[in-house]
Amino acid sequence: MLSICIMFADSRFGYLERVRFGLGYLTTPVYWVADTPARVSFWIDDVFVSRTDLLEENEQLREALLVAQRELQLLESLASENNRLRDLREATQVIPGEVLPAEIINVSPDPYAKRVLINKGAEDGVFIGQALLDANGLMGQVVEVLPFTSWVLLITDSHHVTPVEVNRNGERALARGSRSTASELELEFVTQTQDMLAGDLLVSSGMGQVYPKNYPVAEITSVYADPGQDFATVTARPLADLASTRHVMLVFASEETLIPEPVFETEQQVEAVADDNQVSQLDAGQDNL
Amino acid sequence: MQRRAHATWVIFLTFFIAYLLAIVPFPDWAMNYRPEWVPMVLIYWAMALPHRVGIGSAWVAGIVLDVLEGSVLGLNALGLVLIAYITLNLHLRLRMFSALQQAGLVLALVGINLVLHHWLRIMTNQTDSSGLMFLMAALTSAIIWPSLFQLLRQTRRSFDVH
Repeated sequence: MLSICIMFADSRFGYLERVRFGLGYLTTPVYWVADTPARVSFWIDDVFVSRTDLLEENEQLREALLVAQRELQLLESLASENNRLRDLREATQVIPGEVLPAEIINVSPDPYAKRVLINKGAEDGVFIGQALLDANGLMGQVVEVLPFTSWVLLITDSHHVTPVEVNRNGERALARGSRSTASELELEFVTQTQDMLAGDLLVSSGMGQVYPKNYPVAEITSVYADPGQDFATVTARPLADLASTRHVMLVFASEETLIPEPVFETEQQVEAVADDNQVSQLDAGQDNL
Repeated sequence: MQRRAHATWVIFLTFFIAYLLAIVPFPDWAMNYRPEWVPMVLIYWAMALPHRVGIGSAWVAGIVLDVLEGSVLGLNALGLVLIAYITLNLHLRLRMFSALQQAGLVLALVGINLVLHHWLRIMTNQTDSSGLMFLMAALTSAIIWPSLFQLLRQTRRSFDVH
């Protein structure tokens, strides 16, 4: 009995990461079997579908792709313009990170801990603190990496705080998961005078250096400013489809998207700065184009 | 003891199925009512075969459950060891109990386990739950116990596990 207590105390201080990691190899088959019904139903959906449905879906996807590509073209020109402007101000350039598609295969059995399990682990290069997205917005961050799976803490967990800013005017705030079982966010320490309105889009601000900058996080649903209170009560609804989505993405952010200060990656660049400031800027610009 | 350690795989298989049932996703409203499958299976084996399934097996089963659920390592292990200890002490009396009395004891054991979990989770900042809804799982476990008991007993007899 005593040994259990010692084990338990140990795990609180993180000595047992390796043991847990090793046991992860053992438990993978259990997840695999538990996930089988979902996979079978997807398979059935795929197999028993009529030709006309497929053609229709294909058509729709083609149209959606066309629209998305057009928007991407506009976005690319905007991004390069933005980078040029940032160059002028000697600020860091924004480079989109790479993504790795993943699937949610399980959710935490404790209804008060909002965690999900994804089917990518250490073997795929997942690391602790990595950001998880779905098609609509930010979902959460990786908190535990097992060999073939990882646990992700969702942004709506009450122990999770996301640094955000209002897209409209850059007002910064901290979005904490709701303390109830509801899937929503509460903005903390918002003063009465801060300019926030219902319907405002919140994007990740990149502060805290966990999440990459500028990913959509949530939409403000209500702002209530009680003059008797120190702070306004602001709630927001996460944009990501936390309850029902299965397909998600892990972001491998390039370092520069995370770090707000200009950082030179190689010594050559630093030396170049010492030699001639303008030349180094040209170099950096070429690297990023 | 002329035939020892017979059909161990049946015990493993029942635990494996219990693990599956323990992590299969439920809709949100039903989360609190999920029966505690692994503790119940453990109670059965500790009662039926105390020389095979004891505190050590309970501990190993708990560690595996911890990894599966992603909870603090040792949380389930501690709870299951406690359950195994009490069951082993009572196993002779338990076998004489009626189904209803057994269900009552399962209610108490699973309840102790859940309360222990709850305390430890709050201590390790894993949950914010308020209220006693988490105890509903003990009730559903007790309701399911008689049929699970019959099922496991038939399994044990037909595979001649002893």
